[in-house]
Amino acid sequence: MSGKNETDSQSAVREIVITRIFKAPVKMVWKAWTEPEHLKKWWGPRDFTSPFSKIDFRVGGKYLHSMRGPDGQEYWSTGTYTEIVPMKKIACTDNFSDKDGNVLSAADIGMPGDNWPKELQVTITFEDLGGKTKITLRHVGIPEGVMTEMTNAGWNQSLDKLEASLTSIH
Amino acid sequence: MRRDVFQAIADPTRREIINLIAHKSLNVNTVTERFEVSRTAVYKHIKILTECGLIMMKQQGRERFCEARLEKLHEVSDWVEQYKALWNSRFDRLDSYLNELQAKPKNKSHVRKKRNR
Repeated sequence: MSGKNETDSQSAVREIVITRIFKAPVKMVWKAWTEPEHLKKWWGPRDFTSPFSKIDFRVGGKYLHSMRGPDGQEYWSTGTYTEIVPMKKIACTDNFSDKDGNVLSAADIGMPGDNWPKELQVTITFEDLGGKTKITLRHVGIPEGVMTEMTNAGWNQSLDKLEASLTSIH
Repeated sequence: MRRDVFQAIADPTRREIINLIAHKSLNVNTVTERFEVSRTAVYKHIKILTECGLIMMKQQGRERFCEARLEKLHEVSDWVEQYKALWNSRFDRLDSYLNELQAKPKNKSHVRKKRNR
């Protein structure tokens, strides 16, 4: 099809990428990400805590983290480190699990919608900005190009919202 | 094997099929004719899309039509929203934690200086 190349060239831009610049040196941000005692302090999003974290920080090693919601429900996630470049990059898989690290589907833990991907692949890159650190979190679970093509088709409202949110990530 | 919508849209041919029928239902033959790959291959993709709930087959007289069921795609956009919200919230927490960490040693040295004076 004629539009194919155009779509391919756009696809890289439309991945799910979340970036943030932290006012802290790389060494500290790296530590916050790789040591359970630090990770537990922030892994739970707003109104959550993170009571448990175990990290076997080596390629092939696993992690197991928990998040506890305001209602007391605990969500566990596990994954395997697939690449580690000290102070620069961490790549790992990401799954929902039970407290023993057995992989569960999103539906098993009562997440809305039964179509979450079973396994996400996440890469986190650390960029030294001289006293500050830029973190780029890239979700590589959704196939490249999908977002672009869905929105190109000019579909429903929900997808328009998606488009807007994807272009507004910084 | 359980199919999900992410799997459905992972393949470029399947995405093109969805694009093709997004606005207008087409009969199966018309869909297969639009692709260079074999008829059988296209049928296979249509079957997968049907199993994932993205396409509904409708019999009209002697023809079978493919109709797009785009509601399923909401699940993808909903998922993206949730995922982003989670990470942005974590990053907020990480941000304040890093500030906290950095504030600590400064305070100590500040105290020490004071004592030395």
